[in-house]
Parts: sequence; C-alpha cells; structure tokens
Amino acid sequence: MKSKPFCVVLVLSVFGYLFVWANTPKISKYGPVELTSKSSNQDYDKMMDVLTHQRCMNCHPSDDIPKQGDESHPHYFGMARGEDDHGFEATNCNTCHQSENNLNSGVPGAPHWALAPASMAWEGLTRKEIAERLLDMTMNGNRSHEDLVKHMTEDDLVLWAWEPGIDANGKQRSLPPVSKEEFKEAVENWFANGAIIPSK
Amino acid sequence: MEISMTVNGMHKTVSIADENTPLLWVVRDTLGLKGTKFGCGKAACGACTLHVDGEAVRSCSYPVKFAEGKDVTTIEGLGDRENPHPVQQAWIDEVVPQCGYCQPGFMMATAALLNKVSKPTDEDIDNNIINVCRCGTYYRMRKAIHKAAELHSKKEIYESKEL
Amino acid sequence: MADKGNDSKKTSRRKFLIKGGLGTVGVVAIGAYIFRNPIRRELLGFANSLEAPYTDNTDKPMMWFEVTKINEILLHSPKMEMGQGTFTGIAQMAADELSVSMDQIKVVHAASSTGNVDSFATGGSTSISGLWEPLRELAAMLRVMLIKEAARKMNVGIDELSVENGIISAKGKSLTYALAAEGVENWEIPDVPALKDIKDYKFIGKPVPRVDLDAKVYGNPIFGMDAEMPGMLYGAVVRPSKIGSTFVSADISAAEHMPGVVKIIVEDDFVGVVANSMMEAEHAKNAINVTWGNYGDLDTAAIKNMMTVGNGNSTTIQKNGNAFGEDDDFEILEFRSPIGAHAQIEPNGVVASVDGDSATIKISTQVVSITRKEVAKRLGLDTEKVNIVPTYLGGGFGRRLHTPHAVQAAVMSKAVGKPVKYFFSRKEEFQHDMFRPPTHHIIKGKLNSEGFLDTLEHEFVSGDVATDSALIPNFLTNFLGADVGAIRGGFIQYTAIPNFRAVYWHVVLPFATSWWRSLGLLANTFAMESFIDEMAIKAKKNAVEFRIGQIGESPIDVRLKNVIKAAAKKANYHEEVINGRAMGFAASIDANTPCAQVAEVSIVDNEIVVHKVTVAMDPGLAVNPDQIRAQCEGCVIMGISAVLYEEMFVENGELTPTIYGPYQMALMKNAPKEIDVVLLQGKDTPGAVGEPPLGPIGAAIANAVRRLTGERLTELPLKLSKTV
Repeated sequence: MKSKPFCVVLVLSVFGYLFVWANTPKISKYGPVELTSKSSNQDYDKMMDVLTHQRCMNCHPSDDIPKQGDESHPHYFGMARGEDDHGFEATNCNTCHQSENNLNSGVPGAPHWALAPASMAWEGLTRKEIAERLLDMTMNGNRSHEDLVKHMTEDDLVLWAWEPGIDANGKQRSLPPVSKEEFKEAVENWFANGAIIPSK
Repeated sequence: MEISMTVNGMHKTVSIADENTPLLWVVRDTLGLKGTKFGCGKAACGACTLHVDGEAVRSCSYPVKFAEGKDVTTIEGLGDRENPHPVQQAWIDEVVPQCGYCQPGFMMATAALLNKVSKPTDEDIDNNIINVCRCGTYYRMRKAIHKAAELHSKKEIYESKEL
Repeated sequence: MADKGNDSKKTSRRKFLIKGGLGTVGVVAIGAYIFRNPIRRELLGFANSLEAPYTDNTDKPMMWFEVTKINEILLHSPKMEMGQGTFTGIAQMAADELSVSMDQIKVVHAASSTGNVDSFATGGSTSISGLWEPLRELAAMLRVMLIKEAARKMNVGIDELSVENGIISAKGKSLTYALAAEGVENWEIPDVPALKDIKDYKFIGKPVPRVDLDAKVYGNPIFGMDAEMPGMLYGAVVRPSKIGSTFVSADISAAEHMPGVVKIIVEDDFVGVVANSMMEAEHAKNAINVTWGNYGDLDTAAIKNMMTVGNGNSTTIQKNGNAFGEDDDFEILEFRSPIGAHAQIEPNGVVASVDGDSATIKISTQVVSITRKEVAKRLGLDTEKVNIVPTYLGGGFGRRLHTPHAVQAAVMSKAVGKPVKYFFSRKEEFQHDMFRPPTHHIIKGKLNSEGFLDTLEHEFVSGDVATDSALIPNFLTNFLGADVGAIRGGFIQYTAIPNFRAVYWHVVLPFATSWWRSLGLLANTFAMESFIDEMAIKAKKNAVEFRIGQIGESPIDVRLKNVIKAAAKKANYHEEVINGRAMGFAASIDANTPCAQVAEVSIVDNEIVVHKVTVAMDPGLAVNPDQIRAQCEGCVIMGISAVLYEEMFVENGELTPTIYGPYQMALMKNAPKEIDVVLLQGKDTPGAVGEPPLGPIGAAIANAVRRLTGERLTELPLKLSKTV
C-alpha cells in the first residue's frame, strides 16, 4: 500500500486549498435582479422539478446505494457508495461507466461518474429540505452560491441528465421535465434572487 | 483510425473503422486473444473483465478509443504455466473451474482486487467480486481468493528479498 | 470382478475395426459399442424393462483411442465437457485400464467424422455411469492389443510382460505403446479382457485434478465462442421479441448498404446478415426491419392461469392403496415455481463452413448427432459429409440440447461461400431460451393416529420438458404417457405410506420449454419436501425421524435412509432457532441417486441468507470424489440462485427480463460460506451426480425459513411476505 501516504498528503492539501478558498472574499457576478417573489418561486419549482427527477435523484441516495432506471431500483449487483463515492476498491464506477454514454451496451457514462457525497443525500427529503441541504456549505462540499450555480449549470455529470443515452434494452432514458436551458436559467435566476426557499 | 496501446507488455497498433468498437472485440478478433470472454455485452456479467492501466474494466462496454496509449492486460498476460499469477495458482490449487467460461473474468477481477486490498476480507470479496458464475463455483472461488492473497503476499516478500 | 474373458455379449468382437492413415502412429479405431443408456432405463420406475439402444452408428467404426508418437493416448470422447468433469472421469477410467499416467491421456471431443458420437445427448447425469463399463472394457482391450504386438516385436511371451506408464517391459527390455503400435497393420482383436480389480486402480476413486484445469485457468481458446475458421465472416440473425411471432416480410434496404455488410439472407423462417466484423453484423441486424405476425400479448398471469392443476391431460404416474375419498379430511398446500432461464454465460454460438457438398460446423452443443442431421437435411447434404466438431461448452445445463442455429450459420455460409461465425446476443439468449417450464402443485396429506402419513397425494402440472423433444422419441413418450423429464422428483419417495398417488398434468405452453439441469426435480422436490416438513410439524415430530419412519425397505430406500441419517448427523441437525439461525431439512432421489441436505439460514435485512449447507449423497462408486463434491457445491449454489432469485416474466407478449441483474442470480455474496459434502457409497458402480443435488435445496431453505418465521413459503422464488 505504497499509495497511502500520497493519498493522505493529497487529502490534506485539498482541505487546505478549500480552507483558503472558502475564506477568500468573493464578489458574485450575479447582481440583484428585480423580480417578484412569485417568479422566484417559479424558478425554484422548475429547479426542484429537475432535482427531484430520477436522473438526478438516482445518484443522490440516502442509503449509499445508487439507484437505476425510471423506477429507481437499487443498482444491480450490490454496487454501493464505497469509501469515496466511487464504489469499491477494485470494482468501482469506472469498471463499467466511462466518460460518455456507451451506445453499444447501454451503460451510461459522463466525466467523473460517481455518487453525490452522502452529505448531499436527497432521497426521501422534501423539496424544502433538499434546497436547505443544497445551500448548506457544511453539506454541499463547501460550495458558495456562485459555485453552486457553476456546478449546476456547467458540470458534465449534472448536465448528463439531459443526454442520458439509451438503456440496456436500447430504450431512451427519460429526461427531466424541464429543458436544460430552462433549468440553467431557473437556477441562475433563483440564486440571483437570493436563493429564497419558499416557506410552504 | 489507428489506436496504439500496450497489450500484455507488447506494443500494438490496430486500425479500426469504428472507434467505438468495444475493446473486447479488438482484443478477441483483431488481436486473437480469446481468453477474454463475451457474456452479455452489457457490462452485467463480468466475463469480459480485463485490466486497463491496472484497473478492472468490463471491456464489452469500453470503446477501444479510450485505450489509446494505455496498458491493457488480459488473462493471457496475467501469467502462464511457467510463471502463474498467484490468482491462477490459487485457482489451480483449489480446482475452481467447472465449465470455465466465466473464470478469466473472475481471475482478472480478483487480481485487480489484490492490487488494491492485499488481504481482502469476506466482505471485500462480496463487494468487489460481483461477476456471474452459472456453475456456482463461488464457494471454491472464495477459498481461492483468500489463498491467492496469501500467495501474493509471499510473492511480494520473496521479490523484495530478491531486490 | 467376474472374469469376462469369454464374455463377448457386450462387445462384439466382429465389430472391431482398425483404421490407419490419420497421421499418427498406430491409429487404433475400435468398433461400435452399443452401450446402454441409464437415463432411458430409469426414465420411469416401470420403464426398467425398456431396452433403448442407440439409433445409429452401431455398424460404423468409432474411433475411441489414438496412440501418438510421443506415447500419449488421445481419447475421443462421445460425451461433451460442460463443466461436469466428465473428461476427467473418463480419463481416469481409461488411464487405469490402459496402465498409463494421467498426463499421458489427452481427452478430446469426438468430431462426428470420427464416428464416435453419442446419438442421444450429453445430459441427464449419465456420462460417467453410462461409460463406466464400456470405456474400461475398450481401454483394457487396447492394452491387450498393444501388449500382444509388443510380445511379438520383443519376442517374449505375453505373460512375461508388464506395463506401467504406457511402457511395456520384460527382462530388462521395454517398448512404448507408440513403438508397439508402429507399423502394425493387422491387429489381433482379443475378447474383452477381465477388468482390473477396483482396489488396484491408481486413479479411479481418487480426487485427481481436472484435466482441463490449465486450459481454463490460462484462458485457452477452447469454447465454441472462441472457434475460428480461415477467412471467416460474421453473421447475425434477426429474432422476434414477442412469443409466437412468425416471419412475414423483411425490409433490408437500410441495412444492405451499411459498412462491412457482405450479404443479407432472407429465408422462409429467418433473416440473417453476414458482415466483415461482429459489430458490423450487429449494427446491420438492428437496421433490418422485419414484420412479424401471429404474436399475442400474453402476460405472466395468463401463463400462471394455464399452468394450473386440472388443465391439460393427466397421467397417474404412481399409485398405492386408496386415494382420498370425497368426505376425507386432509391437509392441503399449493406450490408454484416460475419460468426459469438457463442463463449459461457462453452464448450459443457456431462457426459453419459449407464447401460444395460438405460442411464443417464448430459448435458448443449437447447434441452432436441431432445437429448433424438437422444441418444435412436443410442443406440437402449427405449426413456423412457434415462434420460436427464439438468444443468445450461454456455451460450446458440442458440449453444446448437444441442447437439449430448451426443450420442458420450453415445456410449463411453457403450463401456467401465463406465460413460464417454467429452467436446469440444476451437478449436473444433470454428470449429464445428453452425455458424450465413453470409448475403448479397441489399436495394433500392425512396423518394416522401415530402421527405418520396415512395418505399422500401429489398432483402437479408442468409444460414440456422431454415431451416431443428430439431426444425422447414420441413413441416412448406415448408409451409412458407422461413427460419423463417433468416427472423427475414428482414421485412419492416415502413408500411405506399405505396410500399414495402422484398425478402429472401436461400443458403445452406457447413458448419453448425443455430440459433445465435436473428437469422437474427442482420444483417437484421443493413442493413435496416442503409439504412433508409441514406434516412433520403438524405431527409434532422431528423432521428427520418423520421422514425415516415412512421410507420403505428396497435397496434405494435404504440408501435414502442412509443419506438422510448422514446429513442429519454431519450437520448436527436440530430444530431450535439459535442466534437467529435455523436449519431446514430435505431429501430426494433422482436418477437413482439419493441426496439429503440441511440448510442453515437466517434473515438479514428481510432477506433470506443461507450460511451453510450440508450435503449427503450416495452416487455409488465415486470415480472422482473431488469433482463430485464440486458438482454438489455447484448444484447447491445454482439451486440457491433458482429458488431465491430467478424468475422470468411475460409482459405484453414478451419474455423478460433480457439481461443479468434484472434476471437476478446468486452472486458471490449469496453463496454459502460453508458447504459440507458427505459422500456415501451404497452401490459398487458410479451413478448420477450432476443433477441430483439440485433436488433438496429449495425445500431445505423454505423449511428453515418456516422454523425461523413460522411462515410457510409456497412459491419460488422464495420471498418473505412480511418484515421480520
């Protein structure tokens, strides 16, 4: 296990980096936008329609088991989170999932295919709880609003939801109920308006 | 297009019309290495497991384009009769195979596991070895995996002494 | 052993024939041998008197052995190696009678061109038992023939010669078998010599390693899927997804001009595409638009409905004493088992080359002779001109008792004038399997005043298993009146019960069903032994004592009692729940091999977990005890897979699922960490091994669950109905 010390150093340096980064004052590029709370709620609803769709929810499980398919069954063959959200030591996400969808086998793929961290478990939560968890920097990987917008509108794995490819039977996977562009806009607007979680 | 990779220690360049052809078929049909098996074509059974840069990969679901510049190891490169890999030796000692078709995939998965976890527990085995065997050789396989771990660690000690 | 010196009844001297010129020194081809096939003898209790000889090859030379220049013996096996260890067993048998070492025997699959082809099949757990006498006799005969030639060449008396490791020696001189055979043209054919005494065998009875171990550990290209022929192209065949579909028409316009496509073949019954590579063939296949007719929209419920006792035709297969009267009180339970898939990991595949009036077919098959006839018939070739070259099987389990894809590959090869390789996709494997038919059982029983069974009745329904299959001639099925495969395990084995009856109902399903390792045994024993256990509980008796108390006194009954006692003792069988674990007991007789099992089970996260299984089995003489253990372990695990997880459904007229995972099977984590096997020897010849241990496992697990939860599970796969 020669790689262990290296890993530890890496982990420490990542934490160090995050610490410095989190304490660096940032200016949001999203200036306040004049919007009624009603339209903010609409943005919130659109965003949540996507976040609670299987394409997103399947990889934000609350029980360490990735889900699959439109009926969100547990991942076949007992695959689970493992220590680093990438599955087990030798049999991990990348044993089967590569950086793009495989149209021959129907195995989905995207860059850095993995489960969302356990702190970002959404399965079984209400929309409000999901939103709170999303914004909570102790849970969301220390992400600021700006980081969240970037993550949700630019990350390849997040955007995979709109290009989910075909399944093992050659059938197209279902898409989130909101288009990618609409989702991006809703996310940007919601954050720009202060990321207000409706109380209901 | 041309794909260059190292296969079982040998440099290979293959010319292929469809870069999304599964690595499995390049290994089997272009390079003629039949030890890596086709079972399902959906990354479900694990019969096609081989190593890419030391990691277990299900080659039926791995486009050959991703192998460019990488190091591919198949069962033929794991070991041979003169110099069996500890996993192969353990498989022989425990007389694991029945029909034998799924066994190369299991042995490659096991070899990858031992590279990561030198002394796997039963739980490590259950988590990582999730290929499908229809003859039901799992019982002997588990014994062989533990045995391979022993042989593997002995081999490492021996090799480090040699150095 | 009796002296067989003058016994030429079994092996006719006249039928021996020596053939040369096959490129090795001293090629020895030994004539036809009609060996009896135990499966046909033991199809039914009352079919014992039926003599069912092989239907062909009886007058033609069959090449069993070749002696090579390097003094090895090639044994051409008429039986296929599909994991069951037959090659190792027959190598042991031949090595011992030939007085050679295990290293000197090389077992190969007999190609049909050598003639040594079993016209029946490899299956039914009969390979070792069927070859036990004839193969040893043939090997002994070859040994005597070689010794006679050596005596002549060495100019010494036969009695002075001794043989070891294929070297014949006397008075300090020696000659290898290869040299003894060299140049001999007129062999003297002896009578069948006396076989060696069993205690003198060096290999028979010993746990020698499998002869195919190295090939399988180093990834050698030994399977049908690995076969190639020079210049070969790749084929694919379009198959319908819906049950009952018939071919109407095909639109090939899109596929015709796709990259790599060589030819598209539209026949009356199939559409095939031949391309330069496997992927090109596959892509083109997907672009062919076939119109199918005649399919319906069946579902699982409709199939279950059809598969209900009372539908179809019935045959009473066993009867003793009186049946239940109309006013009798009795306990009654119903059981069901689902459609099962073979799911062998090597897909069905074939390479065919048709060249003028002859054809060569490399294929994993359990039916060489039938496949040969099918190809010859379709292509209008002389059967003799079709050479089936069998390969190792990546799992058989009965799936390869039907391999007509050889015909399609041959048709495609003929169309393009080149060899064509083609194999099933996994989806095709799942949808076009020859499934294990679903079953339904109604069992009734009544206890007497001593708490033993007074009356027991088993009525069950199954789809075809052996009926109308190419393997069992219709006349035999008609004569027997019941499907000889479906009824395996359906009999009442507790023959001391005064009144019992077993009734088989036959229903024809709209999709193909056939042999699945152990045939009816898995489902029938699950139902019968679950019911017996329930009656033991009702009688407040220990499950083992309850069984022992109702077994008869015939030899097979005694052997059944012995395995039951041995399993109970080895497992330390008890009926308490200790630390959340309980034991379940079950026993069965299949193909004259009794087997008893104890399963140790607990419930973890509402899932049934099998921790340990103890197996006691009496397969008669154990040719290779280690491989018999391997078969027991394999059957236990395949059985756990079948009874806890596996199930095919029918949705909108399609068989589903079509991939591993959704078709859930036992994985490493589901296999028991302990499997303890005890082998008994209750007869002095080898018996069936590869299927009998599949019998008890379902009921053993269900009976353990009954003791853990109080719930009697009556449907396979076993699912707990409530959270424990």
